[in-house]
Amino acid sequence: MATISRRQLLGAGGTLGAMALLSACGSTDPGGSDDAITIWNNLADAQQNDYFRKHFAEGYRGKYPVRFSPKADSTIDRLIQTALAAGSGPSVIVTPGPSSFVSSYWSAGYLADLGPYVRHYGWTDKFAPWALSASQVDGKLVTLPASYETMVFYWNPATLDKLGLAPPKTLEEFESFCSEAKGKGHVPLSAGNADYKGANEWFVGLGLNHGAGPEAVHSALRGETKWTDPVFVDAIDRLATYFKKGWFGGGVDLYFTNNFPTTYQQLASGKAAGMLSGTWDFSNLGSYFGKAAGNDATWDWTTVPSLGKGVPRIVWDLAIGQSVGINTNFRNTAAAADYLNFLTTDLKTIIAGVERMNFEPPPIHISAADFSAEADPRIVRLYSQLSAARSIGYTTWTFFPQQTETYMIDYFENVITGRLSAKAYCAGIESRFSRERAEGRVPVAPKPGGGLS
Amino acid sequence: MTISESTAAAGAGPDVSRIPAPHRPGVLARLRDRRVSGWLFLLPLIAFNLFVVLVPSAFSVWYSFTDWTGISSKANFIGLENYRNLLRDPEFVQGLEHNVLWTVFFLIVPMAMGLFGAYALSRIRRFRLLFRTLYFIPYIVASVVNASIWRSILDPQNGLGNLLHINPLGDQHLALWSVEFVNNWAWWGFLVVVFLAAMQGVNPSLYEAATMDGAGATRQFFAVTLPAIRPTFAFLGLMTIIWSFLAFDYVYILTQGGPAGSTDLLSTVAYRNAFSNLQGGYASATGIVMAFISGVVVTVYLVIRKTREWET
Repeated sequence: MATISRRQLLGAGGTLGAMALLSACGSTDPGGSDDAITIWNNLADAQQNDYFRKHFAEGYRGKYPVRFSPKADSTIDRLIQTALAAGSGPSVIVTPGPSSFVSSYWSAGYLADLGPYVRHYGWTDKFAPWALSASQVDGKLVTLPASYETMVFYWNPATLDKLGLAPPKTLEEFESFCSEAKGKGHVPLSAGNADYKGANEWFVGLGLNHGAGPEAVHSALRGETKWTDPVFVDAIDRLATYFKKGWFGGGVDLYFTNNFPTTYQQLASGKAAGMLSGTWDFSNLGSYFGKAAGNDATWDWTTVPSLGKGVPRIVWDLAIGQSVGINTNFRNTAAAADYLNFLTTDLKTIIAGVERMNFEPPPIHISAADFSAEADPRIVRLYSQLSAARSIGYTTWTFFPQQTETYMIDYFENVITGRLSAKAYCAGIESRFSRERAEGRVPVAPKPGGGLS
Repeated sequence: MTISESTAAAGAGPDVSRIPAPHRPGVLARLRDRRVSGWLFLLPLIAFNLFVVLVPSAFSVWYSFTDWTGISSKANFIGLENYRNLLRDPEFVQGLEHNVLWTVFFLIVPMAMGLFGAYALSRIRRFRLLFRTLYFIPYIVASVVNASIWRSILDPQNGLGNLLHINPLGDQHLALWSVEFVNNWAWWGFLVVVFLAAMQGVNPSLYEAATMDGAGATRQFFAVTLPAIRPTFAFLGLMTIIWSFLAFDYVYILTQGGPAGSTDLLSTVAYRNAFSNLQGGYASATGIVMAFISGVVVTVYLVIRKTREWET
């Protein structure tokens, strides 16, 4: 019987190891596997992952099965970028809104043109027009909006009763609300960016849309007004003043170290009087209120108060929280488009996800009648009012180009720490925005008073 | 008897016709040759290094002269524009300043702590292994774990920050020092172990002679220990400088470069440019500058080592 010497064994092992290493370096998974549509997604927790896998991946009955791979919030964009650059990546490319990376992915040839499928699936009738417009690059539809969201004012009714306060509606009421809460030893608005630096742009967006007003923002997005206009400088300066007074998070330094659990905890415990955040927090607050948290605290929401004079009382900051497109490396674009249609327009599956998991729905036509009796009335109210919204604002992660958005996030910290004036900050926005606008990287924004339909 | 011996014995030149044709060693024999087999063993490593170090490095150099986005296969040559922009970029300049501060801190604080810790350990017999292990443990714990623990400890509302009425990671004037402190906590134990190993190699008779001359512990440290471990000290100093310019993880986990860029290092600036701004070419230029600085440091070290004839 032939025997294998130790050297032969080591040699064979070495060869196998080298082959494994080299094969790992190569791209064996272009656009997902050959026999399945793959999607990477960043959801809040394991429960949401399981639900998404069961209902939005395995629940799809199409030509190909769908394989879902959960990723962390902090890494999904980097993972997708490096995978795409390596000629690989999932079949369905997920981005945090249409302004984040989409135009670069399109320019690099990683995103398929969805135009040929618009009529077939009737997307023009299914989606809100503003959302489809914002999803175009160079006049072509390259992603579909997978979720939409807005900014709201959260409050704990018991806390406000105790403080004798009501949710503010106007600039004067807002300033009075924060002053009184602060004076009574409370954090006026729980806030923090320790977990996610991008939280800065939520507040910058509020400052612009509710402080300067959506008309001014829309004009600037169209290049008709400069971002250095006093209306923006004043709005940013006013917002920075609020931060410096400690109204957001209890102090500028605390804002930098408060993580999300701390902000939710402050709202639930009554330490904070309110919270300005996005509707994505509907799914996060549940763990801190009521039975799940072992307390009897409750939360509610209302619209963001006006933060400037002459600004409409109600402005709905529109945001596409997530966009989905098709990897050009995936061999069957039509099959992937069919899955995208299911993911973003299958009303029954979507509404069930909203009711059971607090998923944010895509900007499709949803009315109160679409929800079951078990639905959280706060959610039903949100999407009913949002569908009927007439005055809209523009979030940075949906309507601003990539480098401008990054600048707005990073340098806002310099403004609230006194390292940079509001005027210089706005000049920085203008220089980046004008360059990116010239390059055609600004998503299309709907008119502010035109409503959503 | 060998050929040379027989020739010498005969007292005459060799009879060429009687000398057998030189034996040509077979493949196996040549493989057994130490020089050949040495290269053969090195070959996979060299190939691997070429693949994972040299090739990406060459690409980085090339991309630093282009407008590459970091995700596209297209890259247009733009000459030295990225490097010119770096000099005008306040984020780059600030990151460089912070890297210098970082380097100075790590050349002083952990080196001093490592030397002191090692010297103290070298003077004791009992529990030396225990202390060595305890000092070393933070070094082998993942940086993300260390950083998360310290973030909780320094928390201004429920941690040490509350007790001291400071916000170490939220105050822009304290944040860089706080991150350095946390990184040092995980780092200095490693230096203790390396310095201790070097100190254990010092000839004991030197200490005996110093004792007989009446030198105390402090005098012995400066007159005997420190000169004897100078090559190790210099080497760790060199590595500290190089590693300081590569620092990233603790800053990214604890502060993401904030507040207001007060903890930004060149690495976090490059990371942001590469992945958030999609300026891969510009980020490559930053990386090349970092590599250049490290190269200068290594060259200076090698020159000094050669002129001073240090042994490692």
